[in-house]
Amino acid sequence: MKNKKWKRMVGILVSIALLCSGLVGCSGKGNGGSSDSVGSSAGGTEGSGGDSASGASDGSANGTEAAMGRFLEEEIESAILFANIFDMKRMDDGTIRLIGNDADQGKLCVWDSKDAGQSWEKAFALSDELQENGDGYVDYAALSNGGQSIVAYNQIMEGKGVMPILYLTDKEGNASKIPFEMPDKKDMPADGTFDASVYSSSTVYDSAGGENAENQPTEGENSKEENPGGGSPEEGSEGENPEGGSPEEGSEGENPEGEGSEGEENADGSSESYGSNNLIMGLSCLGEDQVLVKDVSGRVYQISISDGSIKQTYEFGENSELRESFLVGDKLVCQTDAEVLVYDTATGEQQSKEDTLQKSITESGYFLAVDSLDGGKGMYWLSSKGLFHYMFGGSVMEQLMDGSLNSLANPSFYVNRLLMLDEQNLLVAANDSSSSSPTGVVLVKFTYSADTPARPEKELKVYSLNDSREMRQAISHYQKEHTDIYINYEVALAEENGMTVSDALKTLTTEVMAGKGPDVLILDGMPVETYAEKGILRDLAAIAANADGNYFENILHAYQDGQGQMCAIPARFMMPMAHAGSEYYTPGEGFESFTERKDVLAHMEPDSVVEKFWYSCGAAWKKEDGTLDGQKVADFLARLKNAYGEFDGGEDESAEIVLAMEGGVSPLHKISLDYGEFDLAGKKINANIGLYGGGDYGLIRAVSKKLEGGDFGMMPGQAQNVFVPSMVLGVSSKSMQPEVAEAFVGYLLSADAQKLSMNSGFPVDRDAFRGVIDGHEYEPKEGQETAGVMMSVAGDSEDVSEAISYEMVPSTEEEIKKLTDLAESLETPALMDDVIKEAVVEQGEKVLKGELEPQAAADAIMQKVNIYLAE
Amino acid sequence: MERRAKGFRKFYHRKREVRTARGRVGQTQKKNGKRRKQLRGFLWILPSFLGVMVFYLLPYGDVLRRSFLGAVDGRFVGLENYKSIFSNTAFQLAVKNTLCFTVVCIPALILLALVCAVILFRSKYGGVIKSAFLMPMALPAVSVALMWRLLFHAQGILNQWLAQLGIAGSDWMNGGQAFWVLVFSYIWKNLGYDIVLWMAGLAGISENIYEAARVDGAGEWQCFFKITLPNLKSSLYTITVLSFLNSFKVFREAYLVAGDYPHESIYMMQHLFNNWFRGFSFDKMAAAAVVESAVLLLLILLLQKAWDNKEG
Repeated sequence: MKNKKWKRMVGILVSIALLCSGLVGCSGKGNGGSSDSVGSSAGGTEGSGGDSASGASDGSANGTEAAMGRFLEEEIESAILFANIFDMKRMDDGTIRLIGNDADQGKLCVWDSKDAGQSWEKAFALSDELQENGDGYVDYAALSNGGQSIVAYNQIMEGKGVMPILYLTDKEGNASKIPFEMPDKKDMPADGTFDASVYSSSTVYDSAGGENAENQPTEGENSKEENPGGGSPEEGSEGENPEGGSPEEGSEGENPEGEGSEGEENADGSSESYGSNNLIMGLSCLGEDQVLVKDVSGRVYQISISDGSIKQTYEFGENSELRESFLVGDKLVCQTDAEVLVYDTATGEQQSKEDTLQKSITESGYFLAVDSLDGGKGMYWLSSKGLFHYMFGGSVMEQLMDGSLNSLANPSFYVNRLLMLDEQNLLVAANDSSSSSPTGVVLVKFTYSADTPARPEKELKVYSLNDSREMRQAISHYQKEHTDIYINYEVALAEENGMTVSDALKTLTTEVMAGKGPDVLILDGMPVETYAEKGILRDLAAIAANADGNYFENILHAYQDGQGQMCAIPARFMMPMAHAGSEYYTPGEGFESFTERKDVLAHMEPDSVVEKFWYSCGAAWKKEDGTLDGQKVADFLARLKNAYGEFDGGEDESAEIVLAMEGGVSPLHKISLDYGEFDLAGKKINANIGLYGGGDYGLIRAVSKKLEGGDFGMMPGQAQNVFVPSMVLGVSSKSMQPEVAEAFVGYLLSADAQKLSMNSGFPVDRDAFRGVIDGHEYEPKEGQETAGVMMSVAGDSEDVSEAISYEMVPSTEEEIKKLTDLAESLETPALMDDVIKEAVVEQGEKVLKGELEPQAAADAIMQKVNIYLAE
Repeated sequence: MERRAKGFRKFYHRKREVRTARGRVGQTQKKNGKRRKQLRGFLWILPSFLGVMVFYLLPYGDVLRRSFLGAVDGRFVGLENYKSIFSNTAFQLAVKNTLCFTVVCIPALILLALVCAVILFRSKYGGVIKSAFLMPMALPAVSVALMWRLLFHAQGILNQWLAQLGIAGSDWMNGGQAFWVLVFSYIWKNLGYDIVLWMAGLAGISENIYEAARVDGAGEWQCFFKITLPNLKSSLYTITVLSFLNSFKVFREAYLVAGDYPHESIYMMQHLFNNWFRGFSFDKMAAAAVVESAVLLLLILLLQKAWDNKEG
């Protein structure tokens, strides 16, 4: 009996214990360790949320009080306009020295600052033999702590390529040659040919020594990509990217490889046409008597300045390419595409692997710039995720600054050099095309502020399905102006999560209904009308009315309903356009006459053809009762099939290689007008169609010229004057801070935000629109006769005749008027419904491939779409 | 005599009173014991009941409430949502397809499983083969969906086999055949489970009954119809209800193979709910969920009633 009682008691106690532990498990909120936790301790752990300077953070450990301390940034307003900055160093006497090009004089100079970079005085201009002139140009320069500089000068060999020469300039500016001869590049072909086009075929050069015409890469080049798995070293790296528009490139006085001349030379297959088959791709001073030189094949040479002899050569495995190399004290830190290697420059031996460093890079992105404060015991480094500190041999990577709170996360901000002034102050030289600097070169000072909250108190959530570079730019600028607001930008369809649009929208629905949803929605790809109908979006009519820009009203009011309510506002737009020779396309012609030409769309990818024409035709399909006109869909498919002709089996091998080299193409880029221009120039396709949202106007001009009588205009379609709304803004009706959200939307429509452009949509503001298309960045500076900015682009390296060369010059008034008139004429928003688009593209592709008759495909589309519309 | 009789009556009464009093005490004790037992029983099911209450009944009450409110603004709309779903052609199509699927699949599955179970029950290798039939249940839905895609795609394995035989193939998942592919998929996956249930029922029938019937001259078919089937009635209810509930899980395969908008013949209720959820149509979802649960409850009650009557 007693036993029974005891058993019962024990049973009850165990039940209570289980129940309690279950409840505790359910209610437990993260007791720290959350990525959103405010601030970080001075000890510094990986992934800390806010900023902390070593030993300076007073953030509370228990998280009950808001942690304090954050790095604040300030752009240094200097009287000197830098065309580029090659290097910055703090000299032994505390003076900060900088070497770069003066944009006003077009001269390579050295400047000194005694006040931590606030003001600069020219120390000296480098000797005339090192200045950019017709004989050569400077690619790289490095400073030593003693104040001397090493300059890599590319001597033009009278039409026979370039010969890299190293010059030493002492503290006072006296230059002397270093007797160093560049070794042959590692992967020299057996016949001795050197494909220089790989390194310079698309180089931009500016004879005026002025601004860099190509400071940032075009979409798809992914220059700021820091995913360890993606892109070649040259594609992703700062400062040493020969194709992607490195900061240094703007300084090149004359490009001997311009105009495709080297391509012609290559076609001969003779190596004698070049001064050297190797080029210098990076430079660092090692003390006062040695210099480290990186070459095109990723080898690093340790050279004695006195006699030019090679002391050490650092080579990497065949399967591992050197991405970047940095000098930290006497250690050489090499970042390959797979790992981080540390070498002792005194012995040339590799040191034991730094696992923490390796792990951190995988999580926080590659180094953009590196510096040290303690002679190389530890290193500070910048990535787009922030500023990090690491002690060699240690096990902790300390995050000192959160990049998402400042310019580091801005996709147009390319870090060039980092100089740690002390633990709480740092100077960053960068290229930022969205800055106020005419050359895009900026000096930014980050200072630790102990009395600023580690993370702003207000948090605004911005949500979009796809990443928007313009949005990232705008967020960065907005946060700079509003230090009390943190904008948490969530992109649903990131590469790594493999989420579908449908899954993303379901997650969004759950979050919104749970009251944890975003405040601002970028509605591209979302069912805007459904959301408006369900009351998810706030009325933004007042914001549109109060916005003081000079807008394309027809586009701005694309989502205004009969009652005057505007639940969504497009901040940008794209134009469906066509570009072809006169035998295939006449601007302004209709869909019927365009598609009557058999094979006008031949050799293009079937799905992409259907998708592109969906934009110019879909808007005509919707009937007044909300259903689709099946007859028009069938007619659309039949006409496309006629214009497409027989399917030729898909992409050829060369196209696949190009795609592989590009590391994949974003869906938006694939349907852009730019994407097909090379094929059009090379006459691989008869007509190029696609969405145009800004971009390389010079390329379109050059292709038109090459086509002899080529012209562009609106894409023919069943609907007239169609535009594609882009960056469609909405504010959630469930937002807890609608005023803040609306203020941000207002900012996105302001002139400041509208002028930011990454070529994925024209601004809706007329003035900003003009700024995007007028090519003002190519206007000659005062005292210059011509801008002289030349861009040479090779369509196919094997066929020189397909290379296009064109001058980057400001657009003429006539050209500006033509595009402006086209934008003015737009009045019909494209049908932006992904479910219908998917059904049309899926079935349309089968029609163009000859697998299905147009009528059967139209029936299949209607069957699916009718269910969707009935829901 | 009268006295005696009176005395006896008194005694009798007194005895009865004593008995009654004892009975009352006993009844009270019994009642108390019963209550205590009931209370104890209630306490034991309390956690489970609380779980059902918190995770099923209360949310269901909320769904019921939402079926009379607007989707996001929560304003009272009366029966508007119910009107809206009954006039919605997508809802009608989904209901029609779900009913068709249920009507075709469940009898087919139950009969096929019964036949297989009877054969396997008599077979020497029944146990091994039974396990093989259970294999599809162990496969993850994603793997099954991937297999269906490879098999039934327009350029899939099935069409290649048919082409080798000189038979023209078809786009199986994008035509009227999609429904039958789904029926096949459902039966393939659930057959093993139903076989196991039927075999459990068969094992419960005493062999003596068959022997007695055979002695009386009954043949195999007579034994099956007069002994086996009547004794499997109790299993039938369980198998029917479980098959019915399992039929709703076929959506996973349909969704993974054909996405949000499959061919109209396999557009099920769950597709509709899924798509409504994505578009914030909680009002319609709530109304349709209430209607569907009412229909399901009614069907199960009818089934139970029919079973009880037959048992009686």
